[in-house]
Amino acid sequence: MSSAVSLQQASHTGHDVDHGHEHHQSFISKYIFSQDHKTIAKQFLITGIIWAIIGGLFSVLFRLQLGFPDTTFPFLEDLLGHWAKGGKISPEFYYALVTMHGTILVFFVLTAGLSGTFANFLIPLQIGARDMASPLLNMLSYWFFFLASVIMMSSLFTQTGPASGGWTIYPPLSALGDASMGSKIGMDLWLMAMAMFIISSLLGGLNYITTILNMRTKGMSMTRLPLTIWALFFTAVLGVLSFPVLFSGVILLLFDRHLGTSFFLSDIVVAGKILPNEGGSAILFQHLFWFLGHPEVYIIILPTMGIASEVMSINARKPIFGYMAMVASLFAICILAFLVWAHHMFVTGMNPFVGSVFVLLTLLIAVPSAIKVFNWLTTLWRGNIRFTPGMLFSIGFVSMFISGGLTGIFLGNSALDIHLHDTYFNIAHFHIVMGVAGMFGMFAGIYHWFPKMFGRYLNNTLAYIHFWVTMVGAYFIFWPMYYEGLAGMPRRYYDYANWESFKMFGGLNEFISVVAIIVFATQLLFVVNFFYSIWKGRKVTTLNPWNANTLEWTTPIKPGHGNWVGEIPEVHRWPYDYSKDGQDFIPQDVPVGENETRH
Amino acid sequence: MSTTAIPTGTKWWNGGRSPFNASYGKVMMWYFLMSDAFTFGAFLISYGTLRFSENYWVDPNHVFSAFPFAEGMNLPLSFVSLMTFILIFSSVTMVLAVHEGHKMNRKAVEKYIFWTIIGGLAFLSCQAWEWTHLLTHQHEVWINGINGAAGHVELWNTTVSHNPFGPEVTINGHQYATPGPVAFGSYFFEITGFHGFHVFSGVIINLIMYIKTKMGHFDQRGHYEMVEKAGLYWHFVDLVWVFVFLCFYLI
Amino acid sequence: MSQHTISPEITFAPDHLGGTKRIWKTFYLLSILTIFELAIGLTIYNIHKGAHPNASLVLAFKGLVCILTLAKAFYIVSVFMHLGDEIRNMIMTIVVPLALFIWFVIAFLSDGNSWKNLRNTDAGSKPDTHLVAPAAKEPGQKD
Ligand code: HEM
Ligand SMILES: [Cu+2]
Repeated sequence: MSSAVSLQQASHTGHDVDHGHEHHQSFISKYIFSQDHKTIAKQFLITGIIWAIIGGLFSVLFRLQLGFPDTTFPFLEDLLGHWAKGGKISPEFYYALVTMHGTILVFFVLTAGLSGTFANFLIPLQIGARDMASPLLNMLSYWFFFLASVIMMSSLFTQTGPASGGWTIYPPLSALGDASMGSKIGMDLWLMAMAMFIISSLLGGLNYITTILNMRTKGMSMTRLPLTIWALFFTAVLGVLSFPVLFSGVILLLFDRHLGTSFFLSDIVVAGKILPNEGGSAILFQHLFWFLGHPEVYIIILPTMGIASEVMSINARKPIFGYMAMVASLFAICILAFLVWAHHMFVTGMNPFVGSVFVLLTLLIAVPSAIKVFNWLTTLWRGNIRFTPGMLFSIGFVSMFISGGLTGIFLGNSALDIHLHDTYFNIAHFHIVMGVAGMFGMFAGIYHWFPKMFGRYLNNTLAYIHFWVTMVGAYFIFWPMYYEGLAGMPRRYYDYANWESFKMFGGLNEFISVVAIIVFATQLLFVVNFFYSIWKGRKVTTLNPWNANTLEWTTPIKPGHGNWVGEIPEVHRWPYDYSKDGQDFIPQDVPVGENETRH
Repeated sequence: MSTTAIPTGTKWWNGGRSPFNASYGKVMMWYFLMSDAFTFGAFLISYGTLRFSENYWVDPNHVFSAFPFAEGMNLPLSFVSLMTFILIFSSVTMVLAVHEGHKMNRKAVEKYIFWTIIGGLAFLSCQAWEWTHLLTHQHEVWINGINGAAGHVELWNTTVSHNPFGPEVTINGHQYATPGPVAFGSYFFEITGFHGFHVFSGVIINLIMYIKTKMGHFDQRGHYEMVEKAGLYWHFVDLVWVFVFLCFYLI
Repeated sequence: MSQHTISPEITFAPDHLGGTKRIWKTFYLLSILTIFELAIGLTIYNIHKGAHPNASLVLAFKGLVCILTLAKAFYIVSVFMHLGDEIRNMIMTIVVPLALFIWFVIAFLSDGNSWKNLRNTDAGSKPDTHLVAPAAKEPGQKD
């Protein structure tokens, strides 16, 4: 706190001298402990990409087991040692892989990697601020995330392996050290890492909220904010109010593990021995977890909704359709996201009457979601579309959001969910609507803002290959899972070939695994493109390569700390004046003309 | 002493200013406290959930009826009232410190922060005594072994995993308590511990404020806003106590 | 007031006039409310001591304490934390999200209650014997 105020003063005086031009900073303060929001954004992005590669690799490993349960792969033993004796992944390690895949992708990639990157990068640039409200806390936010990453990573190298109770860490697997291999030190490290992660996301979120409220430039009223900023704002609100509840759950779980309490444990028999724990409830943990868990899925999807809106409006050369409706539906989603958590728990033994209220609230989310989809489609309608890679990924995002979101309505009916819960139907639902749509939104953002981040372009040919293979591949991977789930194939089984009733899915599982490997390889193409282009990509030579309206394109091609040379521009209009009054685009800092039509 | 009246029709949301006429630091502190409210809220609500799932709950007047140096006397709620008043009073001294800060009155700020720190330390000492008392003070409980083993009397203290405050039974004309719901002790120590940790960190923050005030940092800076933010934190700790007091001692 | 600008986002000097009278008044109010709460706590204690505790009377008193607590919380936040002196917008951004607690509390507590009923009735397959006063139980009988 103390440093926050003094720093703010320092940065306010400092900014005026430090417009853009290089001054002599050591490597450490410029690239490592940097307080420049743009550098912090890149740190989040690159850490996120590293995590995405690891998490993706894990999925390839367990897809090998799922697709080829009877085949051995000797190279796995070389790679994984005792976890894959004889070239076959052990059941314990299979569960560890699934758990870490979920944890990494949900929290480390699509939360920190996504919000961390785009909130940090876009908020000050698009609202017209020199930096975040508190650059120091912002830097700490990254370093807490880094700490969380190190702890989580170290759990991969423990003797008993990382956590293996699923990304939702339900007790008793997570509460009893003896319950499974992954319930030992791996689980403790998971909980510690998550505690650090929550602190990081809190520091970040508080900063995003206050920056958007307090630091907007003159004229940047709330209704002139780009939709990215609105989306990031609600994302931060979701995070700030729901992560603490998981924090409580984590603390209670640590108590259960190490201090002899029974918050989540009762009447448990392990190997014929009755444990002394009584009076707790495993369902209580699920309530606490999903109170975060459901908002969490919107923490993932809201930023990508913002990115897609922005990118689609720019590349359709049309104002976004229904700006206020978009903001209102973001708001509605934000509120509803807090009220529906128990739709993940219909079959746990929860009070069925309360469950029916949750059904009602859950189905309500379909309304704002549908409004958004309608508005994206109408934005494209009769637009002058430029199919840039960012645009393609945004359109792909909408497609995925529709085909994954619609099945949420099936799942939201508790009667149907009795059949569908914990089947591959659920897996397909959330991978399409959150996993793939989230990644698509993130890719759209990266392709779109890469020129601003690094002053160079990504390679377009590689980008198109990346898009088409991923788009088609993602549907090939996840669409069949709907059918598997409807036919009753449960999730989290190690070896489907062991069950007579699931043998018939063998061929399909094999097909999915092959496509998954291809799609994973294509992502590596993106990674190569990314790192190659940072240093060797085609240089950006114009200030505003996409002819966009928002303020970030009024900064120098490679803005320094402080973003603008000279005064911060004033804002006179909303960011969506495309194809207006015979002009292709009118940036936000252009004053309103005398006889200009009003939107 | 003049103040600028805020003109009506000020366009608060148009950018270039805080819509709340408040510094980002204060706004951030408020939202941090909100998120902390959700942490505490989650603790207290899960306590309530387990309490609702039990047929029997501990009567606080039986548990919290001791007072230091009054061994053997039955004084329900007395010690916790002392703790509550200490905390309320330290809130008053804190708000007075903030008040004097607005008037740039360094000596008075120093004095009031000092008393706030004393109040915080007093509260923590009380809590230490209460914990020690619960952990060491033993009661007779009637234990009825599982699987029909004969019952017998044991001496139990209160810990996170057991307590002697269950429903009473009469054996051979003698009243005994039976083991109480486990969750009572677990949540009591967990939540008061977490609250106590907040009080502790509040004391540390106030200590820093005290030193900074004494060294004249805020006079140099021209305002005492940091004391105000520390005050917000301190009052929040008091606010949480109001609810802990309700949930564990009153109902 | 001789205050320097705290930060550039503050465009009007905040109004900090007024003495300490309001602070002390709030202190007395909080004290009185607390004494009330303690009195109710002791009343509940005495009701419990009686031969046939009146459950609904106890419940009414507990409800009353909850309301008193909310009143205390209101005074702490609005006077001690000066939220009452802030701009309305700011008050709303802080108070409105707290409404989330309503559903948070209702859903959790009612589910807890339902676990109890399910356990007592073996998921509805036998009558609930716990509806009688707990004191009537046999020694050591587990809940
Ligand atoms: C109309 C909108 C939606 C509805 C009605 C809906 C409903 C549901 C329901 C009822 C479940 C629980 C299924 C079960 O466990 O049996 C579920 C699972 C899930 N949903 Fe959705 N959903 C919607 C949109 C979304 C969105 C937009 C996302 C993410 C961005 C998302 C992410 C998830 C995730 C991650 C899970 C599963 C978590 C797990 O069990 O591991 N959903 N959804
Ligand atoms: Cu959900």
